[in-house]
Amino acid sequence: MPDGAVNVSLGGFNRFVGPLFRLPETAEDEVRRFAFIVTDKHMNSGGTVHGGMLMAFVDIAMSQTARAVSGAKSCSTVSLNCDFVGPGRLGDMIEARVRVTRRARTMVFMSAELVTGDRPLLVATGLWKLPIES
Amino acid sequence: MTDLAPPLPGYVRTKLVDPFEIFVGPVFETGAPGSRHFIFRVDERHVNGRGVLHGGMLMTFADLALGAAVWDATDYAPSVTLNMHTQFLKPSRAGDIVEVTPVLTRKTRALVFMRGEFTVAGEPVFTAESVWKLLGKD
Repeated sequence: MPDGAVNVSLGGFNRFVGPLFRLPETAEDEVRRFAFIVTDKHMNSGGTVHGGMLMAFVDIAMSQTARAVSGAKSCSTVSLNCDFVGPGRLGDMIEARVRVTRRARTMVFMSAELVTGDRPLLVATGLWKLPIES
Repeated sequence: MTDLAPPLPGYVRTKLVDPFEIFVGPVFETGAPGSRHFIFRVDERHVNGRGVLHGGMLMTFADLALGAAVWDATDYAPSVTLNMHTQFLKPSRAGDIVEVTPVLTRKTRALVFMRGEFTVAGEPVFTAESVWKLLGKD
């Protein structure tokens, strides 16, 4: 993991499938970055990363982003659409790049891509609900 | 501890081969190939800090169950998920039993379109639709 990476998988399902990290922000970009290293438990029998793990990881990265931009303590995924555009492999560092399309009062619209190096693995769009008090 | 016994009578453990599915499982099923009904019991591994079932687990279960139905529909042809669209309707918690009977929407030479409505105690909690590509078929 790069210097400054922070473990964001401290409990529950996130910890179970993790460790997962938030990467330090770079000055000019609008993108929030997260990463994990593919280990044996994340694989399918065909030698590539299981789609369920890729969807779980992008869901976690987008949820963390929704909380970060809103200050909300919690949020809920309402819908998520994922295109699987390439396979991940054992040992890959898979990075999530999350962008907020629009933040409304109780809703956050986001898009994200998962990459390893310059190679895209998954693209996603999704909708999150914030609690009323946030 | 993970409970390996079927949570409901009449179910058998689904044979899982993918390491990630074995890691998050077990999953159970009943019914004949082509109309299999899948369930899993939410446990402490599957929930977030608020005790709510994590979307990542639901999507993994969806990929597993809809993928198994694709296998049944294609005489076990190798395939990959191209796309999955999901809607999270209602939170579930540890102890809940999530159920689905995947539905084949359409099958072409190269593609399979699947969908599933997932329920807990008869109430819809989650829906998934996925498109699958049969490898080596154009």
